[in-house]
Parts: sequence; C-alpha cells; structure tokens
Amino acid sequence: MKYIWLVGWRELAENARTKGFWIGILLFPVIITISVAVPVLLATKGVPTRHYVLIDQSGQFAPTIRAGMARNGSGRIDNARLEEIRRHTDDPVLAQVITNAAAAAPKAAWLEVPLPPGISSNLSPTALEAELRPWLRGDRFLPPSQASPKPKLFAAVIIPDHFGSTNSPAHPIRYWSVNQADTDLRDAIRRIVEEELHQRAYRSLGLDPDVLSRIANERAPLIDLNPSKAEGEERVGMADRLRQWLPSGFVYLLWIAIFMVSQMLLNSVIEEKSNRIIEVLLSSVTPSELMLGKLLGVMLTGAVIMVAWFASLIGVAFLQIVFSGAASAGAAASGLHSIPADILGLLRSTWLLPAFAVYFVLGYIAYATIFLTIGSLCNTLKDAQNLMGPIMLVLMVPLFLMPFIPRDPNGPIAQIASWIPLYTPFVMMNRIAASPPVFDVVGTGVVLVGFDVLVLWGCGRVFRTAILRTGQPPRIIELLRWIRDR
Amino acid sequence: MPEPALELRDVSKYYGDFCAVNHLSLSVPAGCIYGFLGPNGAGKTTTLRMILDILRPTSGSLRILGADSALSVRSRIGYLPEEKGLYKKMKAWSIIAYFAGLKGLPRATAKRRAFELLERYGLRDFAETPTEALSKGMGQKVQVLASIAHDPELVVFDEPFSGLDPVNQGVLEEIVTDLRARGRTVLFSTHVMQHAERLCDRLVIIARGTRLFDGTVAEARRLLPHAVRLETDDDPAPLRSLAGIRSLSSEGGGRWRAELDEGTDPQSVLRACFDRSIRLKSFDASEPNLHDVFLKLVGPAAREATLR
Repeated sequence: MKYIWLVGWRELAENARTKGFWIGILLFPVIITISVAVPVLLATKGVPTRHYVLIDQSGQFAPTIRAGMARNGSGRIDNARLEEIRRHTDDPVLAQVITNAAAAAPKAAWLEVPLPPGISSNLSPTALEAELRPWLRGDRFLPPSQASPKPKLFAAVIIPDHFGSTNSPAHPIRYWSVNQADTDLRDAIRRIVEEELHQRAYRSLGLDPDVLSRIANERAPLIDLNPSKAEGEERVGMADRLRQWLPSGFVYLLWIAIFMVSQMLLNSVIEEKSNRIIEVLLSSVTPSELMLGKLLGVMLTGAVIMVAWFASLIGVAFLQIVFSGAASAGAAASGLHSIPADILGLLRSTWLLPAFAVYFVLGYIAYATIFLTIGSLCNTLKDAQNLMGPIMLVLMVPLFLMPFIPRDPNGPIAQIASWIPLYTPFVMMNRIAASPPVFDVVGTGVVLVGFDVLVLWGCGRVFRTAILRTGQPPRIIELLRWIRDR
Repeated sequence: MPEPALELRDVSKYYGDFCAVNHLSLSVPAGCIYGFLGPNGAGKTTTLRMILDILRPTSGSLRILGADSALSVRSRIGYLPEEKGLYKKMKAWSIIAYFAGLKGLPRATAKRRAFELLERYGLRDFAETPTEALSKGMGQKVQVLASIAHDPELVVFDEPFSGLDPVNQGVLEEIVTDLRARGRTVLFSTHVMQHAERLCDRLVIIARGTRLFDGTVAEARRLLPHAVRLETDDDPAPLRSLAGIRSLSSEGGGRWRAELDEGTDPQSVLRACFDRSIRLKSFDASEPNLHDVFLKLVGPAAREATLR
C-alpha cells in the first residue's frame, strides 16, 4: 500500500506542476463566466452598428418602417413585442427575465442613413442598385456617422413603385446585402411591412385592427403541475425544470472529467514506457503496485480538478446571489427564485453531488484502467491513438443518449443502457434525479463494481506483460493469451 | 563461507521458441565487483531483469540477498537499467529522492541523501534543474545516483558506462569502487573490456545465453597462451625453429604474433631475434588482455549475432 501511495503521490505532484492541470482547473470557471457574460457583452458591444439605406419608391411604407424600427429601439431586442409578452404572461420568472432584458438597453444595432452623396432616390431600381453596389461591397465608405468613423453600407432595402398596390410577387421588396447570415434587419423590416399590410386589409374589410391585434395576442393560461410533489406545492417551477435537466449537465462534466484524467494517465504511462523509466520502477514496485499507484494518483488529480470545478460553480452562483442581493431579496419576498439560488438549493437537497462522486470513481476505474493498459501496449502516442479510435466511438454513445434520457428517465432506453457497465455512470447520473427504482440503482452499482474488478484484474495481467514490451502493439489473440497465462 | 550475494542455478528464459538464456548458473560473492560480459544479444539484460524479478525465469531458480525474489528485498537492491530515462519535468534532486523513497527511505532522509550525493559527485549546482535540461551524461549520472541513494547492499548496473565521456566514466568508476570499499556488492554488465579489467574482482562471460567463462580477470587471461607481438621488415621465419615458440602468424603489414609455450620467457625470443639478425621495429611482450580473451571466446558468436 505504501508503494501504491508513493507512486500515486508523485503522479499527483507532477500533474499539479503541468500546465494541463491548471488549464483543466481554470477552464471550467472560465467557461461558466464566459457563457454568462458573452451573450450580455455581445448584446451591448459585440456587434457593430449596421448602417442601411431605405428607398421607398412606393412612397407608402417608409414612415411605418421608420416608426417600427424606432419602436424596436435597437432592432435586436424587440422591446415592444417583449412588453406585450410580459403583459400577457402569468409566469413570474419569465416576467422577471423580460424586465431585466428590457432594462439592459443595448446600443443601436441598426442605423438608417441617407443615400450616399450623388445618388438620387428617383433612379430606376436597376440603376439605383448599380450605383449602390460599390458601397454595399465595401469598396466605398459612407460619410462618418456617430457610430463609426468609416461606416460600411450593410444593406439596402428597396421597396419598388408598385409594391403594396397590387401586392404582387412580381414587385417584391429588394433586400441587398453581402451578409446573408445576419437576417435580423431583413426580418424586422419584413415584419413591420407585413403588419402594415394586415392592418390595411383589416381596415378595407371594416375591421378594427386594435381589436384584432388584442384577439391575436390572446393566450391560453396554463400551469404545470406534478402529482409527485407535496400537496399544495405541486406547481412546477424553475427549480423543478432544473432538477430534471441539471443531471444532464453533470453527465457532461462526468464525461469530460473521466476522459480528461484518463488521457493524463495514458500520456504518463507512455512517457514512462518510452523513456524507459519503467524498468527502474519495476525493480522497486510490482506491476500491480505501479498500476494501482498511477490509477490512484491520477484519480486524486481528477478529484482535485472536480472539487475546484464544483467550488467555482457554487462560488459563481453564490456571488451572483450576493451581487444581485437587493433584486433577489425582493424576488424571494415575492416568491421568486433566481436560477443560482435554485442550483444551490438542488445541490443541497438532492443526491446529485454524492452520486457524481461515486460515479466518477467507479467510471474512472473502468475507463482509466483501459486507457492505462492501452498506454502500456504502445510506445508512442500515435500508436495509442490508433488503438483508441474504436474505443472512443463506443464511449460517444452515452453522449448521444443524453438528450433522450431526461425525457423518459425510467424508460426502456435508459433501463437497458444503465445495465451496460461502461455506460452505467453516465446513464445513472442522468436518471438519478428522476427517482429510479432502488433495484436499478443498487443492481447497476453492483454490476459496475464487479466490472471494475474484472477490468482491473484483466488489464493488470496485460499491463504487467505489455509494460516492458517494445515494438508493435500485440494482436488481440496475444492479449487473450497474456490474460490467460500465469 | 559466507552466503553469496547472488546465486543463479540453472536459469533459462525462453521467449516463445527463442532461448535468451540457456541453463545459466553463477555465483556472486558478497562485497565484490562482478562483471557481466557478453556481446550484443548475449542475454545480459534478460538475465539482469530476471535477477531483479522484472522477468520470471522459464526454469531454474535464483537466490538474491538470501531471498527467492528481488522484490522481497527490493529496498536492499539498486538497479540502473541499460536504457536510461528520467521523468523530464522532475528536478534532479526530487527524482533521486523519489526512487530512494520507492526503496523505502523516509521522505526527509531521501531528500537529504539526494543533495549529499549530488554534492559529492559534482552535480550540486544542477540539483534544482529539471532533468530534461541536463546533458545526457549528467542525466545518466543522476540516474546512477538515484539507483544508489538508498545505500543498497547489491547494486546492478546494466551497461553503466555507455554514453559517458571519459571524465564521467572516471566518476562512475569512482562510484563503483566507493561502493566496494563500503562492503557493497556491485554487478555490472558491459562490453567495454577496459572497465571490466580495471574494476572487476570476478567476471562471467556469456554468449547466446550460455556461460563461457566464470572466474577472476587473471584466470581469464590464462585462457590465452602467452604471446609476443613483433614488427619487422625482415622475415621472422627462422624463429619458428626456436624451442618454446608454439606458432608464428602474420597479422599483416610486417606485424607478427608468436604464441609461446607455458613457461617460455619472452626475453628468449628477443635474444633470438638479435642472434638471427632480425631487425625489430617494435616488440611487445605484455600479457594478453581481456579484450583478446573476449574476442577469442565470443568472437564467432558475436559475429553471428550481429549478422542475425
């Protein structure tokens, strides 16, 4: 045991000195922070103001479009529409989200500019478009605006003379832009024009557009209820949805964690083998001690990373609660919960964290031992990658299953996959919040432990033969002989 | 008679049908420097690995420091393998301390020993250097120190001199003789005969897994008849008739080798040359060296092994 610990400790100490370890530790909090901060940043600063020209040769739509775009404000968040949803929703969480979104007023994303100097709006559409091409292509720049010193013309919207009067497809709105991926402006203008066309149609039929608009916005109120919850608290809230989906997040974490550290183990074995350190080690420790020591050391490395990840997850959630203190206090008083508070509550009140720890250890033993053995069979990382190809394919399966399992956590797919030891950690982690039958939890656990023991035994036998071997990796038949022979 | 530090009895090792070591027996007395000589592919490394219980013999048995397996007395054995490697990112002192720790030394003692050894053998300034930044020779020295940091009773060095410059070869010889001076047993393999000749109390020569010789250096020398080498532009054929000269053969370029009968004084050959007006450019009557013995014993086997 002493030697296992010595080998393990060195592994941990050396890993802690590598860049990969610290990247591993810091990556997750950075990803969380980025995933929270970037959308906000993008909404406010990320996308530059787009300049466009609007030429309404029909003379009927320009004022409506301008009013509509002004009402939209930024054009990116349709505040008017949001406000409408807010008025009609009875979901307090959604209402809160909308209020927050509206408060964070981003800078204008769209800016209508006059036609470039020297171009007359009275030209025929074809001539006009020919004149505008150099600007649209970015060969020429517009006069400086408040948003940009050297603005490019992002788009030109041309509403032809006969548009609207016949409403014939022969006279469509012509939207010119080199950027066909960002369709926000196109869609906003189209929506405004369509609404105007609807209103005109209503009026021509003698209907009151306001009444119709109210009718169109009528929503059927609906609340979600779950009979398995305590009486009086059956209403399904954010926390319940989180409870259903949070395990999926944990499965991703589990997957990343197991493969990250298994990969470390693989590299470390290949280093020892290709550097020929292995022989000195084997004069001091038995192959089993070496294997178990390495497994232990890298598992501890993984555990440190996991603890850091969860600490940062909890820390970020906690900080968010503290920083939005006043708002949350108000929200809490009115029966509202913030998502971070819900996550913290869930982690406290469910088995997610202990289950994660158990499945990390059991899953790690199976996968890491296999990776370690692959490492012992190969002299270079390249050899190892060839061997790992098919194994990685097998390992992708739990990821493919992930979207299906929360929808039917105790259904046949979940049931069957739970009993395949290599998939048990991921699938059971995914099911754990849905109160799976005790038989499944205990049964799959026992099978997984048995599988771990089997893998340790078989791989131990291969490892002790393979580790001193040089040259080509062995064939399957040789591997089987190593396992069988004393 | 005290128990030998190491004893191999009729040990064989097969890899499939290939016989790497063939019924090898040898006995290494405690407190001596024992050379393990043989051409490439002779089975030296396999034998050393069996001695250390890294490989199991196919048949036969061995006793090491009174035990049946090196692993049960691993803290009393030091090992330097032929292919030397270190953890690249570890510092020199910490790798020595780590291997000493694996041999049972407490952490603090291991660290102290590491610094002592680095100091004594001229590497103190590199104690904190990661091994990847050390030169090959320095790295090898660090590895030698790592193998003896726990002050083992028996040290097994596999080709310890390969890759070292003459200065560092000298340092390594010093390490080996230091060990003997403190009563330790050193077993080392080599195919550089000068080292074996200078250092070994006893040696074994093997080829193709089979033992060809086991004894002292003096005994090895006696395997070859005493010979003199002479260089002349004249024809030395008249020497053939001299009593005590067993044979005379040309080595090309005016160099000749005369094998002498047991007890023949080389001076008589010199005198005969003067008497017969054979003008000598050089005359060498020194004893046969281990190199000659080695070539004579393993020459054919070595050539075959190279061609195989």
